[in-house]
Amino acid sequence: MQNTNATTPQIHGSSDIIVCDNLEKHYSRGGETVRVLESIDLTLARGAFVALMGPSGSGKTTLLNLFAGIDRPTAGTLMVDGQDLTKLSRAQLAQWRATSVGYVFQLYHLVPVLTAYENVELPLYLHELSRAQRHERVSEALEAVGISDRHAHYPRQLSGGQEQRVAIARAIVTRPALLLADEPTGDLDRVAAASIMQLLSQLHSERGQTIVMVTHDPSTATHAQRLVRLDKGQLVEDVAVLS
Amino acid sequence: MSRAQSIMGMATLALRGMKRRPTRSALVLAGVAVAVFLFCTVDAMRSGVERATQKSAGETALIVYRQNRFCPFTSQLPQSYESAIAKIPGVASVTPVKIVVSNCRASLDVVTFRGVPPQEFAVTHSGSASAQDMQSWLSRGDSALIGRELAQRRRLKAGDRFTAAGVDAFVAGIIESDLPQDQSSAFVHLSFLQEQAKRGGTGGVVTQFDVRVSDPAQMDSVAQAIDERFAKDQSPTTTRAETAHVARAATDVIVLVGFAQALGIAALVAVFALVANAIVLSMRSREKEISVLQTLGFRGVHLATLVLLEALLLGGVGGMIGAGASYAAVSLARTAMTMEGVSIAIAPSFAIALIGVAIAIGLSVLAGIVPAIIAARQTIVAGFRS
Repeated sequence: MQNTNATTPQIHGSSDIIVCDNLEKHYSRGGETVRVLESIDLTLARGAFVALMGPSGSGKTTLLNLFAGIDRPTAGTLMVDGQDLTKLSRAQLAQWRATSVGYVFQLYHLVPVLTAYENVELPLYLHELSRAQRHERVSEALEAVGISDRHAHYPRQLSGGQEQRVAIARAIVTRPALLLADEPTGDLDRVAAASIMQLLSQLHSERGQTIVMVTHDPSTATHAQRLVRLDKGQLVEDVAVLS
Repeated sequence: MSRAQSIMGMATLALRGMKRRPTRSALVLAGVAVAVFLFCTVDAMRSGVERATQKSAGETALIVYRQNRFCPFTSQLPQSYESAIAKIPGVASVTPVKIVVSNCRASLDVVTFRGVPPQEFAVTHSGSASAQDMQSWLSRGDSALIGRELAQRRRLKAGDRFTAAGVDAFVAGIIESDLPQDQSSAFVHLSFLQEQAKRGGTGGVVTQFDVRVSDPAQMDSVAQAIDERFAKDQSPTTTRAETAHVARAATDVIVLVGFAQALGIAALVAVFALVANAIVLSMRSREKEISVLQTLGFRGVHLATLVLLEALLLGGVGGMIGAGASYAAVSLARTAMTMEGVSIAIAPSFAIALIGVAIAIGLSVLAGIVPAIIAARQTIVAGFRS
């Protein structure tokens, strides 16, 4: 099994799943430095359902990518699920992502030549599981998102809402500590979007799944417990959501 | 983490990857298959030439031919030389042979009649035909024992009659032999062939003598002694090892096969370019998918493995199709290149097919290395921005 804890400090058992301190992300574009995130201090509790909001270019997706370990901060510290992500190598980050994070994309990004079942099974190849164990996990995940009857369908044979359900199943099949979603309803119609949000709320309430979700839509954000708003790379609001 | 499992996941993806763009995959597979077919077929020819012309340490067969003659029709030697050759020290046996061919030039369908003294032939080739076939051949003056490849090529069996080069013969049976010379030949009684050929009178003229020496180390000295013995005679001789005799007769073919082999190798280089192009195009259109895999936790080594597996599949499947088709085509054709009365069999070879597949796989994997490195080094964010 993977061991990504060998070289970094531990905060396992901590009630906080994300702790970032003075987090910064800069890009260099045409010789000019673009400050996408500036001095972000944020702590998110384990089991929370958090919505990241803000206008386009505010840095919310970049912040989500930093939480997922698919991008690196320019400065500051970032502890996620017990790991200081700034100290992990590229390979260690990949191993950490395989076990600790599930990521849901706005455009689903399923592998088109694999069936729904195979798409969900894909991340499990990185875990020491028998074929039977993989089958059990995939079936459980497909059941959880209510798409078991479509397991043999290819993505092109599914609706957008169904594709997103498969993508969510793929994200939770490894039982990650943290589920990150980048505008998960952004490409769906109103009915499908409501259905996906209901599913995420269910995962949070029934499984205690920690969820951080980027969204533009205020009505989508009402499903979260906490709202973090960014503007021009800075954290401008951090409030509890009243249901 | 289980490396075997992750590779299994990549293998599933690679296999399905071929379905992603079926037309492109089919075209690449066809290209690889054609190249490997060409390579294997040419190599079967090269292998046949090599078998027929490469001198071996244990070689004991000499061919005595008329000096400065290069065609069975013009090589005429008195049969009476047989006793003189037999007396030369080191000679184990001498067989006078009359050869009549249906075509003197290089051809893929030549029938070579070899007129041999029946009783001598029955001794030297005992076991190469069934006792019943040999007895049938001995008892009938117009009968022929024919090589396996000639029988297959002309669809002949025992009891048939066939005509070639003006010679009409009865098929007494099929002989089995590893020698390419025998496989395309029809062995008939010497007197019968001399009568049929009507060249140089009915008695006493043969095309060549097949000589066996008792010690392979004496090949050169015996050949020299034979040529010296007839140097002042009306029909001087040139004596060579059988493989050298074939090599001399097949000089043009050897050059042609060498050229064809260069073309076969060029075709394999095309495999490299073809697979490299297919992989690069495939990877370029899948940068986002690679980023998704990285997000799921797949590392650079997994992605490189995926690319190399795809290349391996293209080369392996295409190579197997090409090598299999070549093997089948050569097997069905059962062809022999014959020139000046000597034959070079083009035989199917499992080893050549395996080499063809291995080279296709090797070149394909080589073609996948740079795209694999690029995929392994791709950053997730850049992939999503592409």
